[in-house]
Formats: sequence, structure tokens, C-alpha cells
Amino acid sequence: MGIISAAGNNLAANRNSLMLGKSGIASAEFLSTKYASLLPFGEVKISTQELKEKLKAQEPGVTRTSLLALHAFEEAIKDSGLTNAELNSSDTALIGADTVGGMCLTDELYHDANKHEQGSEYISSYDCGSVNMYLQSRYHIKGIGNTINTACSSSANAIMYGARLIQHGFAKRAIVGGCDSLAKFTINGFNALRILSDEPCRPFDANRKGLNLGEGGAFLVLEKEENTANRHVYAQLTGYCNSNDAYHPSSLSENGDGPYLAMKGALEVANISSDKIDFINAHGTGTENNDEVESKAMIRLFEKPPLFASSKANTGHTLGGAGAIEAIYSILSIYNGEVYPEINFSDPIPNVGLMPVSKYQKMDLRHVMSNSFGFGGNCSSLIFSKA
Amino acid sequence: MFYFHHISCISPQKTFADIDIENINSPAGDKLLVAEPVYEEIPLGILRRMGKAVRIGVGTALKIVKHNPDGIVIGTSNGGMEDCIKFLNQIIEYDEGMLTPTNFVQSTTNAVAAQIGLLTSNKGYNCTHVHRGLAFENAMMDVDMLLKENSSHNYLLGGVDEISAYNYNIELLGGWYKKEKITGTDLYDQHSEGSIAGEGAAMFLANNNDKNAIARLQAVRIFHSEDENLIADELKKFISENFLEEESLLFFSGENGDIRFQKYYSACEEVINKDYTVAHFKHITGEYPSVSAIAVWLSCYILKEQKLPEHFLKYPSTKKDFSKILIYNNYKGIQHSFILISKK
Repeated sequence: MGIISAAGNNLAANRNSLMLGKSGIASAEFLSTKYASLLPFGEVKISTQELKEKLKAQEPGVTRTSLLALHAFEEAIKDSGLTNAELNSSDTALIGADTVGGMCLTDELYHDANKHEQGSEYISSYDCGSVNMYLQSRYHIKGIGNTINTACSSSANAIMYGARLIQHGFAKRAIVGGCDSLAKFTINGFNALRILSDEPCRPFDANRKGLNLGEGGAFLVLEKEENTANRHVYAQLTGYCNSNDAYHPSSLSENGDGPYLAMKGALEVANISSDKIDFINAHGTGTENNDEVESKAMIRLFEKPPLFASSKANTGHTLGGAGAIEAIYSILSIYNGEVYPEINFSDPIPNVGLMPVSKYQKMDLRHVMSNSFGFGGNCSSLIFSKA
Repeated sequence: MFYFHHISCISPQKTFADIDIENINSPAGDKLLVAEPVYEEIPLGILRRMGKAVRIGVGTALKIVKHNPDGIVIGTSNGGMEDCIKFLNQIIEYDEGMLTPTNFVQSTTNAVAAQIGLLTSNKGYNCTHVHRGLAFENAMMDVDMLLKENSSHNYLLGGVDEISAYNYNIELLGGWYKKEKITGTDLYDQHSEGSIAGEGAAMFLANNNDKNAIARLQAVRIFHSEDENLIADELKKFISENFLEEESLLFFSGENGDIRFQKYYSACEEVINKDYTVAHFKHITGEYPSVSAIAVWLSCYILKEQKLPEHFLKYPSTKKDFSKILIYNNYKGIQHSFILISKK
């Protein structure tokens, strides 16, 4: 596994922040937007230039989104012990996900889309596909390559797609994950929808004011159980489901049909009953709509929901990166036998009354669910289990 | 893999209603723009807010989605590029002032699949593949896996991309369009760089039922490489794996008139059986990332009608009764796919 987020630049740093309940949300240092000092962000604390030097990625046209993906990818490959031969083998798939791609370069894109003079070096780097295509070319990955965009659930679906490719024999192993960087585009989009909080976000709190945008990336290496003899195994992916809420382009239905069906479907794939889930890494963005609907959907499915928390108050909402980042957090919980507290929470939402985990605690976890819900009604849930 | 039942297409040609692929429209300048129908099935209030990609995607889908699929799987490289840049321009021109969110919400790449889901109250699987020139191919592989997991299900599968003023400008600056004026098949005779811009949407209702099917998707393979020898070797393998030596096969070439990529198409033509008929299609579709969706629609239509209008032929041929069509496409010389469609 490899990860970079506002909560830390690698796996160990992320776990440390989670254990200490440390938030990576602050005013932005590197981001250029007029909101940089007005709103808090979950910014990765390395400049784009530093990332380029550190990763030896000086090719023209490489964007911050691709650099964050590359950073997480390299850590994942190193951590997994995949050999170069395995990485380059035609049965290794690379499935990524992102929602802004190179659009983090808002001003360059404005120029290239509107002007008739010479294009910038980023002319081929604006689309979502550019991020994973850069990794495919850089590492000569010959297996199936794909990029998924289902808004905020994108990388949960990348994990699911990679797992299914292995299941169906289209790949022997799959490197799966996702990434997004902070962009004027998404900041202004979410701001226009009036769902950005001017304070650090407070998922599931009665007085929540909206979400904080974040950035980051995460990759995981998946292999079939029978091929893991000499591998270090963190956990098993046992359940997954993608369902659509089919209610509104940018908000969830009151009953939370999409979230409910995604969680229920994942239990069916895992073939376990709802009482077997020990912990949920909730989508919990901190918006009025999401947290209430997600709570209701959890109550609808579990009656008495298991322990849960949202890590968005640690990282901000990393959009296309969120599903993979939170998959890794779920796996860290199982692997280390611990649950991480939700920070900034004080009062439960009155009509649902659910309280997220507030203290770090050691406990044995067998099954952890990770939720990711996005615009366009795109809801996905994953279940990770103890290996 | 699976069967195509209902098919639908909005393209620069007459492919939606009163289909005619014999008498073709030539590009206006270096663009082949879609011939949009009147969208009777999209409520006017919603239609007005839709950008072109969403409009043609939803319009194409609604024609066949009545059959209540169990999920929606779309391949698109850019989704609603026009809304995306409209919103971006507002950000710059109003210096990040208070903006209206409509363009932002419509601009997300998953808006086509989301709108189809919303308009048809479809709560099933909903996924958007955006891997540029292989977005639609991945959507097909996704549907193939879904139908192996749920053998009695039906899925809506589609590919869509638009030419907006903006992505046209980006591609133009990138050197992807020809400077010469192109009419019909002279696209292939210029020996110059670039192609013509295209756009379109094609949708399919897919399931495992062979009864009354239009055609079958027999195999798909995708590659990321700049090596034409690797592509030729992979094609040899693909042909032997699918036992294509004896069949009456049409080789549908995605060549787009860009001299830089001709080496890939030539390498593939070297590999194939000399008895195969060779045809091309980008003079009627133009070039864009999910164009293989239209190539699949054309293949289904040609197999169903058993008619191949002459303008498609690369070399003279009188053969008409094809049992299989092998599509080879590449996008910008790096993303390649083989798609095999058979009559049954």
C-alpha cells in the first residue's frame, strides 16, 4: 500500500496522524486561489516543484495530480515487493481513478482552451486518463489499464474493478487506487454549491457547516489469495457493491437508497450478515445532506449501526483519492487491531443521534466497511476482512 | 462474451432515425459534427440545462433504455467538456466570484451515466470509464464481467464524446487536426499529420441471450504501447486465439489519415489473411477518444443488414457476406484495441 495525503506523506505518517487524532487541515500554502486564506484545505505539504525533484519526474507536462499518484504508486510497489518483471508482465493491471486530472492547472487550461497561440506543455495532460497513462508509460505496464470517474466514489470503483479483473482471470494482480489534487476548478464548484465549510469540517456533528477539500492519492496491490504465499498480506477484500441513488445530480435522497443498496450489496458479496461488520469508515463529508442521509441509511441497514467514524476531518475530502485513501485506513485498522477517532465531533445530529468513535482504541476487527458516495448518485461500499 | 440486442447511435451521419450509411455527410471544415435529432423523450426543462455530450448520450440511451437494464456502464474521455470550460471561464473571468453551480455539476465526466440513471430511476450498477482512447473498451470489459457475475441481467453500455469549442482548440494546438480541406475518403490520401475532429454517442443493450440478438461481442483486447511490432504480434495471437483463419472476415481499420500512425495500421494489414476485406470508417465519424463505440455500432448494423456501402472499402472487393468484423483502433499511437464482433 502507498498513500500521500494532508495527514502524511506515507503509510507510517498517515497511521501516526490517525492514532494521534491529528488533522492535516489548515490554510493552504502552495495552492493559488483567492480562497487559500479564506477556507481551510487538506493540502499535501510538499510543493509541486519539490515533488518533481524528489520523484525525478522532470518530463514536460506532468501535473501535480500525476505527481501525487506517482508518489503513492512508488510506495505501494516498494511495500508490496512486486518485482520489475511482475510490474511489466502483461497480467498486471493498473486501475486508477481521478476527477480533476490535469485541471488542477486551471489557468493553463483556460489559456489552451481559449487562445489560438502556441499551446502549453500541459496540452495532453488535462483529462482524467492522463494520470494513469503517465504511470503506464513510466513503468512500462503492459496489462489492462483503466481510469474510472464516478466523482467522489471513483477510487472505490477502481478497487472493485481491479478485484473483478483478477476474479475473472483478466489479470493475475492489479494495482488499484486513485488520486486528486486541489484545483481552483473544484474549489469554485463546491463553493458555488455552498457546501464548503469555512471551519475545519465536523462530520456527523449537529453543527457541521460543510466539507473541506483535500488532495492526495493512494494505491493498493491486489493479488489472488493463492498467489500470496511469499507476500506480506495486510487484509482481504471480501465485499463490494456499486449502486445509484438516482435522485439528484448533487445530493442524496432522503432515504438514502443509493448508500443503503451499496452497503447491503457489499454484505451480500462478502456473504456475511450486517452484525459481522465491526467498524465503518463512513463517507462522512461534513455536509448537511451527506451525513444525515448516510446516518439514516446505516440505521436502516444495521438498526443499531456498528462503531463508525469519518476520516475526512483528518484529510479533507480528496474526491477521486478518497475511496482508496479510506480503503487503506480501513485496512490499517484491521491489520493493527485499532480504530481511529473522529476529530472535531461534539454533538450528534438530533433526529438520528449517531455518535462516531471519539477515542483511539485497540480492538480486534474482523470486517470493516468503507463507504464512498458521489455526485451523480454514484454510491459504492467496500468490505475488508482480516486475512 | 455477450450479445447486442437493441442499438442506438447519434453521429455525424444518419444513424439515429431513418438510417442511411450509404449517402454520407462530409466534414464542415475539419469537424464532423453530430446531426442531433429532436429529443422528444427528454423533458424540456432538463434538456435546456444539458451540454452536448450529456444531451447526445442521454438521447441515444433513452431510445433503448426502456428495456429496464440492471445497470449503466459508459465510456467517455471528457464527458461534458463544454460545461467544464464554461465553468472554468467563469472562474477566471469573474476572478473566483460567486458562480452558478449548473455548469460545474454538468461538467463532471460521470454526468452522462448519472443523468441516464436519474431519468430512468435506475438504482443498479452505474460506472463511467474515462481512460481516454480505451474508455469504451473498458466499459465493454466491465459489462462482460457483470454478465458473467449476473447471467440473466441486461446492461446499458455506451460510449460518448463531444467536440466543444474548447477541446477542439486544445486538440488543434496539439497538432491533431489537418490543415487541408477534407471531403469524404480523401481523408486517407493526404500523407500529412492530423485527422478530422469527430463526436458521437452509441448505446447498446447487452445480455447473454442469443435469441433475437443483433450480433455478439466475441473478444476485446487492449494495449498501451508505441511499438508497432508488439501490436502486430498481439494481432497474430488474437487471430489464432479466436480461430479467424477460415472465416469471411471484415477488417475494420481505425486509420484516421494521420501519417504518424499509419505504421500501426500497415503492420496490422501485413498480419491479416489476404482474403479478408479491408474497410475504414473515420471519414464518416472523425477522430475522438470513444469513436470505437460507433465502430461497434456500425459493425452491428453491417452484420445485421449484410450490406457494406462502397465508401467504406479500402481496396476494391465484391464480398458481401461477412460473418465477423475485427476492429483495430488506436488513439494517438499509444492506446490500441482489437474488438471482434460476430454475427451470432
